[in-house]
Amino acid sequence: MTQAQRDTISYGTVAVFSSALLLWIIPTWSPEYPGYGVPATLLPNIAAGFMLALSILGLIRTLLHKAASTGSVGRIHWKHLAVFLIPCVLLMPAMSLAGFIPAGIVFMAWIQFVCGQRRWLTMAIVSVVPVVVVYALMRFGLGVPMP
Amino acid sequence: MFDMICAGFAEALQVANLLFVLLGVIAGVIAGAIPGINGPMAIALCIPLSYYMSPVAAIGFLVGLNKGAFFGGSISGILLNTPGTPESAATTWDGHPLALQGKGEKALRMALYASVTGDAFATLVLILVAAPLAAVALYMGPPEVFALICMAMIIIAGLGTKSLIRGLIAAAMGVLVGTIGIEPVSAMPRLTFNIVSLERGISLIPVGIGMLAFSEIIIQLERLIDDKGQAEVLSFSSRPEDRLVSLKEYLRCAGTLLRSSIAGTVVGALPGLGAPVASFFAYDQAVKHSKHPEEFGTGRLEGIAASESANSAVVASSLIPLFTLGIPGNMAAALLIGAFVLHGMTPGPLMFEQNAQFIYAIYGSLIIANLFLLGVGRLGLKLFCKVVRIPPLILYPIIIFTCVMGSYLSQYSTFDVTLMIVFSLLAYFMRKFDYSFICLIIGFILAPIWETSLQQVIIASEQDPYMFFKQPVADILMVLTFLVIGKSMLAARKG
Repeated sequence: MTQAQRDTISYGTVAVFSSALLLWIIPTWSPEYPGYGVPATLLPNIAAGFMLALSILGLIRTLLHKAASTGSVGRIHWKHLAVFLIPCVLLMPAMSLAGFIPAGIVFMAWIQFVCGQRRWLTMAIVSVVPVVVVYALMRFGLGVPMP
Repeated sequence: MFDMICAGFAEALQVANLLFVLLGVIAGVIAGAIPGINGPMAIALCIPLSYYMSPVAAIGFLVGLNKGAFFGGSISGILLNTPGTPESAATTWDGHPLALQGKGEKALRMALYASVTGDAFATLVLILVAAPLAAVALYMGPPEVFALICMAMIIIAGLGTKSLIRGLIAAAMGVLVGTIGIEPVSAMPRLTFNIVSLERGISLIPVGIGMLAFSEIIIQLERLIDDKGQAEVLSFSSRPEDRLVSLKEYLRCAGTLLRSSIAGTVVGALPGLGAPVASFFAYDQAVKHSKHPEEFGTGRLEGIAASESANSAVVASSLIPLFTLGIPGNMAAALLIGAFVLHGMTPGPLMFEQNAQFIYAIYGSLIIANLFLLGVGRLGLKLFCKVVRIPPLILYPIIIFTCVMGSYLSQYSTFDVTLMIVFSLLAYFMRKFDYSFICLIIGFILAPIWETSLQQVIIASEQDPYMFFKQPVADILMVLTFLVIGKSMLAARKG
């Protein structure tokens, strides 16, 4: 991906998102003006309006200077994101279902595995010790209700 | 007044508070020494823990953490040539060549003494300047506060980022996120999408942990998987002249230390510039003022002294705008606002009237943290050097687990974990598309104050659109804001 492509995608996305905010999201999900003070939509509208104006300005600049910004930029690792974020999303429901310690140990083992850890003893220690320590500290030390 | 000062310092000297400051310094040095972890990240992870401490212990702990991390960053920079924090990058230019000569311990000691000197200077300035400035700030009304926040956001977006447009978009996104929750005038939910958990608004903790810590670890893991090699740690010489910094050597750096401390204090007090700018600027000045500029980059102690004293001065001086105006000077100060709010306090000029004893206790904690840093650094230098050897394969999964648990702990809510993941994803894309997530966080923090001042202006003026033009101080601030915009645009055109 070149710089120009990156900027076009990002400004385009912001422009579409801020238009959606101004035309649909903010009017639909804000309370009505009570007749005094400032309407609830004022600050979100200012912020979204700024985003729209700036993204259009950015798009124009990108199109005008397209030739100057051809350098490549870092790509997005979708698979990498998925293998880390999906277990994080599933962790809390898994803790509610299976309990804090079993779910935490499986989660830690999976994260280490996808990081590239292949030493099984180290993996076992790093999976068990932090989970048990956090549980003991929170449950018995601070009295926190654990999931 | 004198009673207040004594009571504040006595509170800071209570054993529990001292222990938490010490714990913060040690944890900060360890965190800073690990490449990829920095002070704000450590603060974001530890804010949920501070909930269980007294207000003085909590702020002292977090300030100690930040101070420790600034010095800790120099350890991996000097030994591995991989700065643990961005502000330690300039330290590596002279620190690593010294380490290659077997003088790693000497370089680390110089970094420690410079950090302590810079921090002590900035703390003194903070103590002397903050109260008078806050007294002046009390005369500011809603129009001035509104204009000041506009100016602060423009400065942070314009000077603290590569692109003014992207910086301002990020700040606007932050303001938008800050408006989610109960709307202050009608007391009705706004932008909550009928999600009950969103009605209380979005807490800083999941935003901070997700954007600062979790997204950083995801990016670090990307690099780790791409490049599996790890830098080699250097060995130390046992000769005393290669290990210790003599008084003569320290005094030879005195001019550099003073200049850099002043530079760091000034840069830290200005919103948006941050420690890396202070560090590079001070290093550049040290080179310009040296009789042997050609020797910089080959292992000059002055190079380490300049960089470290400047970046450590930022820690205390960034509290000046926070305490006097309620505006965070950098990311660590922004996160400290979250900690203040968690303990029922709102940073700003009124704090000097309402919580004067607390302010003096914080001053006491700052001084104590600096002394602890000196002691801990001297005693545990070799031990901390071992931290840089912890393999990332062990460390990063533990940090990921800590991020998840830290988000849950803030309100015992699994919804906050989801929010943390959403914001980490947003920060990941913002990093990839070169947007400043720091601007987003600062916009998010300032949004409620901004909205309140805007409402007060409109209500007090009975919806008079010319209200701002009738306030000279607000006008000056708005003119300055436009000047910053013009300067940033000019710089972008030249760049």
